[in-house]
Amino acid sequence: MSLKVDRAEMAFTFKGGMLPMTVMELASADPERIREQLSGKLSQSPAFFQHTPVVLSVEKLDEPHLALERICAVCRTHKLLPVAVRGGADPVKQSAWALGLGWFPPTDATRARTLEEVPPADAPAPEVDKQPGVASGGRIYRGTVRSGQQVSAPEGDLVVIGAVNAGAEVLAAGSIHVYGALRGRALAGIHGDTGAGIFCRELRAELLSVAGTYKRLEDIDPHLLGSSVQVVLRDAQLGITSLD
Amino acid sequence: MAKIIVVTSGKGGVGKTTSAAAIATGLALRGNKTVVIDFDVGLRNLDLIMGCERRVVYDLVNVIQGEAGLNQALIRDKRVDNLHILPASQTRDKDALTSEGVERVLENLGKDFDYILCDSPAGIERGAQLAMYYADEAIVVTNPEVSSVRDSDRILGLLASKTRRAERGEDPVKEHLLITRYNAARVDHGDMLNLDDIREILAIDLIGLIPESEAVLRASNQGVPVTHDDNSDAGQAYMDTVSRLLGEEVPLRFHEFQKKSLLSRMFGGGRR
Repeated sequence: MSLKVDRAEMAFTFKGGMLPMTVMELASADPERIREQLSGKLSQSPAFFQHTPVVLSVEKLDEPHLALERICAVCRTHKLLPVAVRGGADPVKQSAWALGLGWFPPTDATRARTLEEVPPADAPAPEVDKQPGVASGGRIYRGTVRSGQQVSAPEGDLVVIGAVNAGAEVLAAGSIHVYGALRGRALAGIHGDTGAGIFCRELRAELLSVAGTYKRLEDIDPHLLGSSVQVVLRDAQLGITSLD
Repeated sequence: MAKIIVVTSGKGGVGKTTSAAAIATGLALRGNKTVVIDFDVGLRNLDLIMGCERRVVYDLVNVIQGEAGLNQALIRDKRVDNLHILPASQTRDKDALTSEGVERVLENLGKDFDYILCDSPAGIERGAQLAMYYADEAIVVTNPEVSSVRDSDRILGLLASKTRRAERGEDPVKEHLLITRYNAARVDHGDMLNLDDIREILAIDLIGLIPESEAVLRASNQGVPVTHDDNSDAGQAYMDTVSRLLGEEVPLRFHEFQKKSLLSRMFGGGRR
């Protein structure tokens, strides 16, 4: 048995892939309530709703029968593209297939994390690209961010090529990267992305925050001050580790 | 067209007016037709430091409001021919300054002068913003002290956004750092921020470093800009600053702490 076929002759190949995917965790099965909330979100961050593929997770719902078709319709009118359903009883699985959606078994609850708004910037989301050269609504700022100035990337990562001085504030929906001293305030994951982080060459920050969890300068281990660090959430706590 | 230079700092008491007077005097001594304008309407210090307070008749606000002509308000310095002063009003407040009025005054002065120095009031309010709005260059006066450095940083942010050059998208205002009241001995002790720390935080070119000096206080009280005291370290440092402003390369002085030798301590030698 030989599978040695010339690549050019093959119509396709199967490959395993790990794609970042937004999961829409439903807490209500009422299409009207979903519609209301989506309308609110749409005005808040329109860039997110660009035919973004989503997995509808019904794990938290206890209803054997869902108005899945109506929920999908609501999503589509708000430019979200349901591609699959996760969890739910057998009737849910059947109706998902009937609607042409995939079905995933419920996942281990401990591994799931809440992703409120924007997927991490390394997610392939060319449709969100608004600034040429910067993927997924991220922003590159060149120069010193000075006292009293505020620089933000409301849709993605923020990269600062320079220092962020005391009294300045940098904000991002995603991660914040400072190629210089970070002396001011840095708030990453401002829409609740707990996977975001803060990275800087010299830590002197007045305040560090990831998805609302913060540390002030006096909470930071003095040994880490002045060094190159990464700041990420670990078990709902801000972990600061040296990069050197 | 004259070059408009604002002398600013954010924080008060760091030496803006002293520096504006000293640099204006230096520029004039080097043969440039120079005018220095006091934007600190309501407080009025520049004329005292320049020693012409008794000759003030009309002021900047009078000119802006059309109550006096520019030539009536300009005071000629009695020591240097090329130097003129446009004083501030003591009896008005900063609301009397209008953007159009300031523009008109600067435009008219620009026809006759090489350099226009604007001595900014402290703070970041209207007076300070008007003083910097039309500037081509800015001298940011900073003391080796954290609060002063932070306020200077704030001012640099405004220079990059709230000036005519920024709003029109022209070349940005050229920013210069002037460090004043630098005491090398106290820096050496760690009481004051050192030169490198300040430069690293503010990240702009250093145009001068003025040592803390008795000569400055003496000069202020006598109403003679310290630049005239060419024996003093501060006077020399201001002259160096003027040379750099004129594009010359001058090595930095007075920034290193020199321990006095036993002999010079006994005989009282060294700098004044």
